[in-house]
Amino acid sequence: MQDIGRRSRRFDALDKARGTEQFATDIYPPDMLWAGALRAGVPHGIIRRIETARAEKVEGVVAVLTRKDVPGTNRQGFVYWDMPVLCGTRVRHAGDAVALVLAESRRALAEALRAIEMEIEPLPVVDTLDAALADDAPNIHGLDTGNVLKAATIAKGDAEAGLAECDVVVEETFYTPAQEHAFIETENGVARIDDDGTLHMTVSTQAPFRDRFEIGRALGLDPSRIHVTGPYLGGGFGGKDGATVQCLLALAAMHAKGRPVKMWWNREESMLAGYKRHAARMRFTAGAKRDGTLHAVRCELDYDTGAYAHLGVEIMALGMEHSGGPYRLPHLEAKGRCVYTNNPVAGAFRGFGVAQVSFAFEGMMDRLAHALGMDPLKFRLRNAITRGERNCAGVTMTTSTGMEECLLRLRDHPHWKSREAWRADAPPFTRRAVGVAAVFNGMGYGRGLADYAVAKVRLTGSGRIRVYNGVSDMGQGNASTFVQMAGEILCQPESVMELVQPDTDRTHPSGSAAAGRTTYTYGKALIKACETLRDKLFNRAALMLFVDDGSGFAMIPGGVRHLPTGRDLPLAALAAMMHPDDRISMAEHLMPVTPEPVRGGEAFTLGFPHLLFPYAAHLARIEVDELTGRVAVLDYVAFTDGGRVLNPQNFEQQVHGSVAQGLGYALTEDVLTEAGVLRSTDLCTYVIPTSLDLPDIESHAVETIEHTGPFGMKGIGEVGLNGPLPAVASALYSAGLPMTRAPFTFGRVLAALEDDQPGTGSEAAS
Amino acid sequence: MPLFLPTDLSETLALLADHPEARIMAGGTDLLVRLRAAGRTPGTLVCLERVAELGRIEALETATGPAVRIGAAATITDLLRSDTVRQRLPLLHRAASAFAAPTVRNAATIGGNICTASPAADTLPALHVMNASVELASRRGARILPMPHFVTGPGRTALEPDEVLTGVVVPVPRIFTIHHFEKVGQRQAMAIAVVSLTAMLAVEDGRIRDARLAWGSVGPTIVRCPEAEAILRGSRLTLTALTEAARAARRAVAPISDVRATADYRRQVAGNLLLRLADLPGRKPGS
Ligand SMILES: Cc1cc2nc3c(=O)[nH]c(=O)nc-3n(C[C@H](O)[C@H](O)[C@H](O)COP(=O)(O)OP(=O)(O)OC[C@H]3O[C@@H](n4cnc5c(N)ncnc54)[C@H](O)[C@@H]3O)c2cc1C
Repeated sequence: MQDIGRRSRRFDALDKARGTEQFATDIYPPDMLWAGALRAGVPHGIIRRIETARAEKVEGVVAVLTRKDVPGTNRQGFVYWDMPVLCGTRVRHAGDAVALVLAESRRALAEALRAIEMEIEPLPVVDTLDAALADDAPNIHGLDTGNVLKAATIAKGDAEAGLAECDVVVEETFYTPAQEHAFIETENGVARIDDDGTLHMTVSTQAPFRDRFEIGRALGLDPSRIHVTGPYLGGGFGGKDGATVQCLLALAAMHAKGRPVKMWWNREESMLAGYKRHAARMRFTAGAKRDGTLHAVRCELDYDTGAYAHLGVEIMALGMEHSGGPYRLPHLEAKGRCVYTNNPVAGAFRGFGVAQVSFAFEGMMDRLAHALGMDPLKFRLRNAITRGERNCAGVTMTTSTGMEECLLRLRDHPHWKSREAWRADAPPFTRRAVGVAAVFNGMGYGRGLADYAVAKVRLTGSGRIRVYNGVSDMGQGNASTFVQMAGEILCQPESVMELVQPDTDRTHPSGSAAAGRTTYTYGKALIKACETLRDKLFNRAALMLFVDDGSGFAMIPGGVRHLPTGRDLPLAALAAMMHPDDRISMAEHLMPVTPEPVRGGEAFTLGFPHLLFPYAAHLARIEVDELTGRVAVLDYVAFTDGGRVLNPQNFEQQVHGSVAQGLGYALTEDVLTEAGVLRSTDLCTYVIPTSLDLPDIESHAVETIEHTGPFGMKGIGEVGLNGPLPAVASALYSAGLPMTRAPFTFGRVLAALEDDQPGTGSEAAS
Repeated sequence: MPLFLPTDLSETLALLADHPEARIMAGGTDLLVRLRAAGRTPGTLVCLERVAELGRIEALETATGPAVRIGAAATITDLLRSDTVRQRLPLLHRAASAFAAPTVRNAATIGGNICTASPAADTLPALHVMNASVELASRRGARILPMPHFVTGPGRTALEPDEVLTGVVVPVPRIFTIHHFEKVGQRQAMAIAVVSLTAMLAVEDGRIRDARLAWGSVGPTIVRCPEAEAILRGSRLTLTALTEAARAARRAVAPISDVRATADYRRQVAGNLLLRLADLPGRKPGS
């Protein structure tokens, strides 16, 4: 049975294990063409000449397209429209597309791409935040505000006055790197324009419904004539939220004379042209009272959005909103700037702006605790936000708030209690330490952009239950959970269930797979739809069994039972007597938002602030090798408040996955560029962790109940990513190694070891 | 793209003699990566995977004592699974276990590792400290070269165009009591060495009778440091002696900065790694 709360296997597990699940990459329609883009290779410049004649003559080449072939606005984006489909005059990063080739084979495609002659006059490269903010910086987008796409301030209380009232005040500047999503399935899709002019596209996407509008606007197409199918993704993490191949592929299809076209970026192209997590610089001042009360935080956050906006402003807004941490903080002033550079384009990524500030606010908590001579966990506990209080951004927490409970449970964990003995037992040349972090992550779109979903469920003609999922499943398992929810309400086993993945013709607009919202919002809609279907089945059964009404019925596997008379009616029999339209139920849901005003919130038209937050407290036991600077994370523990757990296995997988990705962010992952040119060009030089680099990860659920959520849950897809970096940093700090720049590569840690005066290690210890 | 799959050595040598443009492919884990990066399709390839005699690992007696002969096409997995290698050449076994990950180890060969001649090649330092020699063959005849004479620079070897590396002969180290290998990479698998240290020490009554040291990834080829070896010879495994040897080692290496690490880091750590050999309470030296 697909009951809620059961550790049932994923609905898609067998298909994936058997390799029968069709990802977008698996689709090779007959008579298909290949499309590929020529990338600028130069981070900043003026296009002087593009000569395609030689490329057009390559055997097997169908078309070579440039800017002049792009109808519509030629602008991609979905809040700011600033990214050309094909650059005409200006290139703003090395991965900009300047030409598009359609060919019969990959070989012809590669040859044609090499045969295009391109002359780009280089412009000075804006490769750092400082370079972008300099008075005489080249203006990348010609904004009146220079390279500052958006500057904003949010405030609670009076940070200046608050800091003056503090007994201890600490200051620090933190830096986080750009991070690559590194999903297994790189960006790809297939597209075709049919005889009636409809564009059909199957694409690895987190936002199939919104894609239609992005493609439509960029290419002057009618969105209602664009049909997008979104199969399971081989990973997304935010990197497929917003057009990747979509506009190029649609443009290619427009020149393919009805033939299908496939575009599939290889790893190098994905590294070059795909979106990244924003690199950030965060200047923090924080103060506390002698008794351990966190009192005031002032910060300046600069996010490097690279060449284009993508969701940079919204990402910065989330960073600002979370900059005071999951604490009851009376005074906060957060200033944010989202800055254009010629670096790779930054965009959405699991932990959306919050992963960055988590390092900073938790770093401040460690430093304040040290300055106060307080245990770092006690200090966090003392200030943890609880229900009914205003959070750091000024929003009253009216929903489940498990931060304190997560920290209490962590405090009782053996790894925390035994930390002194464990530390003292370090082998030669080794420093041992235990670090903690408290993190949170706003859920849903926030105010200004309705976070809605429309669910549909059908009793099929043969008496099966079919769920029409409208939100992409990129591996997080929401689709499987939807089946579980429907199974719970309709009391049906897996064998009776069917699942349709997002398809703009068959399923209904339900927002993107993002922001920890996928299960929450669609789930709420689905519960209503399933309840409506159930009630309908009872009423129709009443008709068939000549009883007064549907009140005496219960769902049983494969059918319904009339309890007073003990008579059963199979679903197939019910289906046979119902009109097809009658066998469908639909319902929708809107995530609630706060009606509270937040000072400075006016600066953001959408995405700010949030009302619902999952919370987590993490612990990392680490060893630092003094000879090499290598940091090994030996044990990891996560306590997560995601409300009620609907499937413990899916819950753990989300925690394990986000901790793994977060440890990569903490230790090795860094999109390196030099003067705007990518240096980590592949997975050999961009270093993600392997199974040997990851510790066993203990995941514990702290089950609060989220009354607004489906079966009491809230989304935990992101919060787990925010913990590892600050938890490892906290451990390093207690080992006398205060780190302000992530990742903690062996080089940086060795330098910190050399800086560390003998003795300070134990002093800084808790 | 002609592809030849010879099944014995003489056929291989004939193919190489008749097709001067041909490239030898063993596991392809270097060759194919390089061809793809260059955007080239391979020309003529002579593959070694079916030449059984090139895949053998055998113990032998030579005039100078026991040795192990490893066929050039033995894979890294073959090395790991070989009892002979594990028992007699523990350093090579350690290097093999730190090599890439199982899938790559199943394809990658020791011959390919030697012929790629990368300063980061994981089997090379062990072969150097154990005074291994390589066997080369062509239709013109066979010859044997000591490792340092074969690998002449980064990516450069003494291999002639018509020659194939048939095997490597490794004298079994006898007097040595400590076999130490440490690879510093950016992660624990699928990592290119940023620095590595391979050390063999003969310790008798607490004193070092002989020491052989080799570093990977800190110079154009494997770096030896006779000065550091001399410092250790005759002394005990103390931090003082090792620190002095480390200083000599840092002078001997010639590292570069790249996307993985700075030259300074490599130099520093090349020395630091020696300290791991210290005889300290609570741990076995070299473990
Ligand atoms: C993902 C990945 C991870 C890796 N990790 C490591 C690692 O951890 N440590 C490490 O040292 N290396 C590593 N490598 C590099 C590579 O796997 C090794 O160098 C391997 O030993 C090469 O062997 P091969 O059989 O694949 O050589 P091939 O690619 O077949 O050949 C390499 C070169 O040697 C020549 N050659 C091969 N055999 C002979 C012969 N018998 N006679 C003459 N010439 C010959 C070829 O012509 C070619 O020029 C890695 C490679 C990859 C792709």
